[in-house]
Order: sequence, then structure tokens, then C-alpha cells
Amino acid sequence: MSHNTRQAQQTQKSIRILQAIVVIGFLVLFGRIFQLQILDHEKYEPLSQRNSIRMDNVNPARGLILDRNGTILVENQPIYSISVTPAQFKVGNLPLLAELLEMDEEAVMQRVLLAQQFSWHRPSRLFTEVSFEVFTNIEENIWRLPGIGHQIESKRNYPGDVTASHIMGYLREPTREQFLSSQNGESRMLLGDKVGRSGIEMVYEDYLKGDRGTNYLRVNAYGQILDSYDGGSLNEAPIKGSDLITTLDADLQALAEELMVNKKGGLVAMDPNTGEILTMVSAPQYDLRKLSGRIDNEYWQQVNTDSLTPLFNRAISSRQPPGSTFKPFMGLYGLNSGLITPNTQIYNPGYYRRGRQYGDLADPGNYDLKKALTKSSNTYFFWMMDQIASNGHLNSWSEKMKDFGLGVRNNIDLPSERDGIMPDSTYMNTTFAGRYWGVGDLMSLGVGQGMVSLSPLQMAVAVSSIANGGYKVQPHLVSAIRNSDNSISYTNPERHKIDWISPNHLRVVQEGMRGVTIEGSGRFYANLDNLGIGVAGKTGTSQNPHGLNHGWFIAYAPYDNPTIAIAVLIENAGFGSISAAPIAGLLIEQYITGQISRQHVKNYVLNFTPRVPVVEDPQ
Amino acid sequence: MMLNFKDLSWSVIFIWVGLFTIGLFAIYSATQGPVAEFLPAYIQGNFDRQLIWIGISLAVLIGIQFISPRAFQALAYIIYGLCIILAIITIFIGIEVGGGRRWLSIIGMRLQISEFLKLATLLAVANYLTHRRDISVDNIKTALITVLMILVPAGIVMLQNDTGTALVILTLIPVVLFWSGLSYGISLLMISPAIIGYFSVIGLVYGIAAMIIITIIIFLIQSRTWLSLSSLVLGIVVIIGAEVGLNQVLQPHQRARVEAFVNPTLDPQGAGWNVLQAKTAIGSGGFHGKGFLEGTQTQLRFLPEQWTDFIYCVIGEEFGFLGAGSVLLLYVLLFLKLLSMASVHKHPFAQLVIVSVTFMYFTHFIVNIGSATAVLPIMGVPLPFVSYGGSAFLANTIMLAICLNLDLYKRSFSIYR
Repeated sequence: MSHNTRQAQQTQKSIRILQAIVVIGFLVLFGRIFQLQILDHEKYEPLSQRNSIRMDNVNPARGLILDRNGTILVENQPIYSISVTPAQFKVGNLPLLAELLEMDEEAVMQRVLLAQQFSWHRPSRLFTEVSFEVFTNIEENIWRLPGIGHQIESKRNYPGDVTASHIMGYLREPTREQFLSSQNGESRMLLGDKVGRSGIEMVYEDYLKGDRGTNYLRVNAYGQILDSYDGGSLNEAPIKGSDLITTLDADLQALAEELMVNKKGGLVAMDPNTGEILTMVSAPQYDLRKLSGRIDNEYWQQVNTDSLTPLFNRAISSRQPPGSTFKPFMGLYGLNSGLITPNTQIYNPGYYRRGRQYGDLADPGNYDLKKALTKSSNTYFFWMMDQIASNGHLNSWSEKMKDFGLGVRNNIDLPSERDGIMPDSTYMNTTFAGRYWGVGDLMSLGVGQGMVSLSPLQMAVAVSSIANGGYKVQPHLVSAIRNSDNSISYTNPERHKIDWISPNHLRVVQEGMRGVTIEGSGRFYANLDNLGIGVAGKTGTSQNPHGLNHGWFIAYAPYDNPTIAIAVLIENAGFGSISAAPIAGLLIEQYITGQISRQHVKNYVLNFTPRVPVVEDPQ
Repeated sequence: MMLNFKDLSWSVIFIWVGLFTIGLFAIYSATQGPVAEFLPAYIQGNFDRQLIWIGISLAVLIGIQFISPRAFQALAYIIYGLCIILAIITIFIGIEVGGGRRWLSIIGMRLQISEFLKLATLLAVANYLTHRRDISVDNIKTALITVLMILVPAGIVMLQNDTGTALVILTLIPVVLFWSGLSYGISLLMISPAIIGYFSVIGLVYGIAAMIIITIIIFLIQSRTWLSLSSLVLGIVVIIGAEVGLNQVLQPHQRARVEAFVNPTLDPQGAGWNVLQAKTAIGSGGFHGKGFLEGTQTQLRFLPEQWTDFIYCVIGEEFGFLGAGSVLLLYVLLFLKLLSMASVHKHPFAQLVIVSVTFMYFTHFIVNIGSATAVLPIMGVPLPFVSYGGSAFLANTIMLAICLNLDLYKRSFSIYR
């Protein structure tokens, strides 16, 4: 019996140990579910939400870009792309994928390997701009291809003849800084997003891009889409980007681009009353179409390394001496400062002497301002500059020239506009770095040579002031923004009177410039009198120590009621009268009459080859 | 023999009913809910099949109550032999599913022999040990035969590629030896490799800590220097083995699975996927759960094997802490009730059978729920009475029925001692 009792005690002890094990096991698991379901619930709840709900970004359509008459210059074109998430992609599916893509397995595998290098878990674009047939084939078989995705994206398309590369600009991936800084903001950029990186695509990026929408979809563990989450009540539709209504005239722009082919230089035409840019070309151009969508890397390399720097916008950034096109502004300064009156006569013996002899190719004789402008006599302006420099008026002269928008930034709505140079004493001190400079160093400024360096845009703005009665206009490319709700907001930049310009003085200069196309150097190619259009202009040839001279022409028309002001710079083309003036003449004709009647002039421009000057011609 | 159903342990039957009812809800949700469209047709039939098996099991449960308890003892070895033969046959002509031959088709019914092998092994070992108590160092032969009787079926199941079930069978060894009088120290020593190994996988420091603590406990229980020393040596061997095994022996994917358990976020799309999804399912259930058929993890098929190995996640997600906690509570009540049955029983065979059955359930319980809640690496064993699986349900019910029978007849049975 005692044996039994001992054994019973032993049994009870063992039972208690087993009970303890059971209870400990229970407590461990109970504690665990308490931890998971009560303490950490808030951590897992969103995890399960994220698991079953997929946020699909819906990219908005980028805003269109239109010309002043509503012609579409830039639009969107759908492109189809296929993406891969390497971690989910099964190599066994490679033959099927390659067959659907209509490519060989080798090529597809290479792209997959490339995607793997980028990330295993994030989708990468496998192929962009696949054909619609391939896209639908993939779409039908998407369930057999885990890890493969398909998207409709869009790229910029440029219908019509207008390219306007330097105005429109191209889209590319954002810079690293742009991308990172956007992550804190309201509209986060995603990998693969493209933003405007030049031109008005860049300046108006915030208007054009629109707001990304979101679709909330229910998916299962295989990533198959079931339906939209909560009946789509949370979905946010994308908001289309705003359209830009530009000031450009599509026909004029197309003609200008055609005329500038095979040339180097820039031109700007604007409405002299408002500052609206009618056309702007920088030549050579690059082909925006090749930088849209799948970027042609070879082309990108070529454009970047081309010695003619096609990415450089000469119309707003080039810095060239304006040559004789500078003379009208000199004249206005002289009249205003009391240095000359409309009747002041200066005798031209064929040169101007001050320390050394400065040449003048205009016929010898007496010149007043009007005649000096029409015949482009240098002596008159050398004399004026001599007076200005000798009397220490360089700085006030420089200030007044800057009032025209010369040598300063005019804040056009494009990136990379440059100041140019309008020398004053500070500039001279800096340039000469302590060495003496004197009247001799300033003389050539009077005829737009030497250190003064300007862009076609600045010249166009300045000549507008002569055309519109002394108002400084604000040059701009976008006149209105049409929002997605079709409401239109106008930019309405203001113009302001340049207070020191008097109408009487202006008339003299205007008459002088009118004479240029009647009896001066502009009479061959920029005279539109037999079309009933009075053109006022001024040719210029800026000396280029590195090669052929640069040709300039500035003009406005019609003379009595100007609607177009223009500045043309053709680099390394010799005289402005034969290189730049014909182009300006054609553009004026096109803009005012809507057509080109002087086909021979057009042919002349298209076939223009710069000639090495044998004799000096009137500048 | 008079049957008095008042003496039947009704509480155990209620727990049984409670567990399979919760299981039926979960199986329905996991296979017939909105998730059904992602599942092959044969899996959608799981719920109906489970109902049939429950019906069959109920009949068997009742039938067994009319059998004399002595019959189990008498038939123990025969059943054991039969099941081993069937299991070996299964290796060769079984129906192959998912990389392992585990099913044998008998008169149109697919049976998973390994489930019945558990039962057979348990009965045979209990029978063998009934007249051999007080296993000690002096009686090492009994212990060795016992171990062999368990190793053979475990090995066969292993050949069927069913590591989970093999593991469950192996846990019989410490349980029965402990019950048969093996000293506590040695019993602890026997299970120490599992504990030290577990902690070694989590981290080398944890493994060493576990080794030291176990050695100290063994020394405190039985102040025998040689035992403590061998515990220390065994511990070191296990730790080194775990390290070498992890880094040298295991294939990368196996290693990934172990690492995924320790740190699932390392590879959330790969090996860590199941662990993360299981935790997410349970965690997102919260206190109330998302509601029947409303669990997103379940209905969107984020969980693998959600009608068997991961059924606890379905319960946790859809019925929340209330449901998941109730399941734990039902189990612990079942285990404690069975243990108290064993403690009041006078017959050593009955005691051994009931204790073994309890711990077989307990192992399933710990491993299954431990896997689902990421306390243990994922090992893939079903949850008794809850998971889908006809053979398992039947075998588990038979074990329960035998326990009930032994308890019902405890007075008359004890006379035969």
C-alpha cells in the first residue's frame, strides 16, 4: 500500500509538471496574440490595408501649348510601355514574354537583367513605346506573367511645321535635387516622371503638369486587380495640366525656322505695342521630336557635343556687338542730352580722327542725324561718342541705353536669358583691371562695336520702343493660361513710358530708319513699298575678330502704325543688308500680308551662302 | 458492462464540438468566401468534405464508447504493425501531392496514414510501458526499445516528406519516458537540444544563455555533476551544430526560411512573406476581428494553406482577439481536463495513453499557433479539430474517443490491474 501511495504521489507530481507546461505554453501564445492583436494592432492594420489596396497613380495629361490663333504647337501622344518587377518575374516565362513582345529572348533577358541591377522589388520600364498590338497582347496575358506590368504613358508630340525647340524646351527626368526636394512637397515626383528642363516647358512646369490622380484598387496576393476599392469613392481623378496660349504666330514661326535652316544666329519678332513675341528662332535648332518619349541617346550626345551648340538659345543668350543697328539709340540719346539737334550737321571727310583715324564708308559730305542714320555714316556717331566719353557722360549714356532694354535682362519667360554688356565706368574698371582706359577705348561704342554686346531679344525690345512711341515693353511668350476648368487667366504684362524720349526726337530717328529701306542699305531686300508696307529699319555688321562678320537687321512695320518689330542676327554671314535684312523683310511680309509674294527673295535666303567681303561696304 | 452516459466527460465533448465548429467557420471562410475565385475547385469542396468527416468521426466516437478498454491494449501491437506496413506502402504507391506521398486511397477514401500512425505508435508504446515502470539508468533497455518504437514510425513519416508529423511523433519520446519515471533532470536534458537550438537560431547569445540556464536547472534538480556536465557538452554541441548547420549545411532556401523566422523583414517578398502575412492577418484582426468573410488577408489569398496550417490566421483576422483567444482557452481547458482524467485514473496504460494524447495535441497546438504567430519557424502542422483534413480529424477524434472511453470505464478497468 505504501508503494501505491508513493507511486500515486509520484503521479500527482508528474501531472503537476505537465499541467505547468501546458499552462506555460498557453500563456506564451496568449501573450503573443495579445501583443499582435491588441498592442501592435495599429501597426498591422495599415499593413493589411496596404496589402489589399493598391494605389495606382493616374498621370494627368500635360497641358497643351497653342499659338496666338489657337493652333496646337505641342500636344500629347499616348505611348505604351511594359514594365517588370524582377523579384516577381519568373524566368520560366521568358519565352512567352519574348513571343508576346515579338523579340528574341536574349534581348528581353538583357533588359530584365538591367532592371534587376536597378531594383528587385521596384518596377522598371522594360520597353517603352511598344506597338499597340504588343501592348494588347501583353494585356491579355498579364495574368500569366507575374511581375510584368503595362502602362499607357504619354510623350510630347509636335504636330505641324513648328519646332521652336528653344522656346518649347524638352522634358527629361528631374535633377536629383528637384526630385529630392519634391518629396517633401505636396506633389511628389515619382521615379520615371519627366519634367520640363528647358524652354517654357520648364518655366511653366507647375501649370503644365496638372495634378496626379489616384485610383484605389483591391488586389489579391497575386497582384490581380479585383475591383476599385470601396466602389471607387476614394478615387481622385487626375486634373489635366493647364494649356499655355502663347504669343507665337505658327505660320510666322514656321517660316522663320525654314529661313534659318543652315544658318547660325537668332531672331526675335514681336508686337511692338505689347511685347508679345511673334516668333523667335535660334539656329541651328535641335530636333525636339528626337528628345520626346524614348530618348535617342546617340542624338542627345550629338546635340550636346556639337560645336555649333544647338542647345544654346542665341535669340536671348548670344552676346554680339550690334554694329550700326545701335545708331538709332545713339541718336535718341544725343537729341535728349542736347548734344545734337535734328539740324546739327557734322562733316564727314571719309574718316573721323581722334588719336587715330576711324574709317567711314559713307559718301563724304555734311550729315544731319536723319541722313546719318539713312546712309549709316560712322563719323556722326564717332563724333557723338567722342563728346560723351570726353565729357565723362559714359555712365548716364549707359543708363539711358539700358532703359531700352539693351545690356540688361528683360525677364522674358524663358530660362537662360543673358544680360549682355552695356559698358559703364564700373565695367570698364573691371575689364581693364586697374590699367588706364580712355576715350580711345570707348570710341567704337558709338557705332555699336567694341565691348557692347547684345542679343536679338534686346534689339527687338529696343526697336519696339522706337516703333511704339517710346514705351518699354515686357517681352513674353505666354499671353494666357487656360485652366482645366476652361477659365482663362491672362498674364497682361505692362509696358511703361521711357520718360526721357520726346516724340519730336523720336520722329527724326523714325524718319532716318524709314530712309534706310528707301534709299539706304535696306533698300535691296527690306523694302516692301510695292506691297504697300512701309518698313523702317537699320542694318548692321558687327566686326568679328574670329571670322566672318555678323549681320544684323532691326526693323518695324508698317511705318505709320507698327504691328511688328523684329531683330535678326546672322552670325558669320557678312553684311546685315544681305544676310539679315532679307529674312526680316520676308517675315514682315508674311506677318502683315499672310503670304510670301517675293518668292525669289525667299529662294535667295534659303540658298544664302556667306561671302567673304572683298571691299568694305557701308555698315 | 453497463454504459452510463452520465459518466461520460461531456465537457470534453463540448470542447471538441466548439473547436470543430470554429474550424468549420474558418474553413468556410478560407475556401468558400470571396476568396473562392482564386482557388481550384477541389479546394472549394473542402468544407463539404470536412462536414462528412466530422459526421464519420462522430459515429466513430460514439462507437468506440461501446468497446471494452482492454481491447485497445490487446490490439495495440496489431494496429501498430498494420499502420507501419500501410505507411511503407504509401511511400511507394501513395498519391503524390505537393512533393510528398502521404495519401493512400482505400475504398475510394483518401487516407493520410501518418495520422493513424501517430495513434498506433502511441497505443503500442503505452502498452509496452504499462508493465515496465520506473525507467532509470539501470533499466536502459526498456528506454531504448521505447525510443526505437517511436523512431521507426517517425523515420517512415520523414520519408513521406512530412517533417511536421515526424516531429510530432518524436515528441512522444520525452513525454512517455518522463511519465514512466525517467528522472526530471534527464527528461529536461532530452528536450534541451530543442530549446537551445531554438534560441541559437534566434541569436548566438540567446543560445548560450539558454544552455547555461538549463544546465543550472538540471544541477538544481539533480545534483549530479556528470549530468550537468553532459548537459553543458550537449548544449555546446547543439549551439555549434546550429551555427554550422545554418551557415554550411542548409541550402540557401532553407536557411532563408529560418532567417525569415528570425527577421521576416529581411526578405518580405520571399521567405519572409508567409511570416509577415500571417502576423499581419492576426495583428490586423484587432479585438473584434474584421468579421466573418471580411478578412482581407484571407479573402484576398495572402495566406498560404489557410484552411490547414494557417487556419489560425483566418480565425485571428476575422474573429479577432476574442476568437483567437477563445481557441487558446478551449485548448488549454481540453488539455487540463485530459490531464486531470489521467491523474485520477488508476490504470497505467490509461494514464500513459491520455498523457500521450494530450501532448500530441499540445505539440500540434504549440507548433501550429506558434508558426502562425511567428513564435516558431513555420513547420506546417495542422491544428487538431480546427484545420481542414479528414484523416487528421478522424485520427484525432479516435484518440479523444479512446481517452473518453478509458475515462468512462475507469472503475471497471482499474480492477484489471
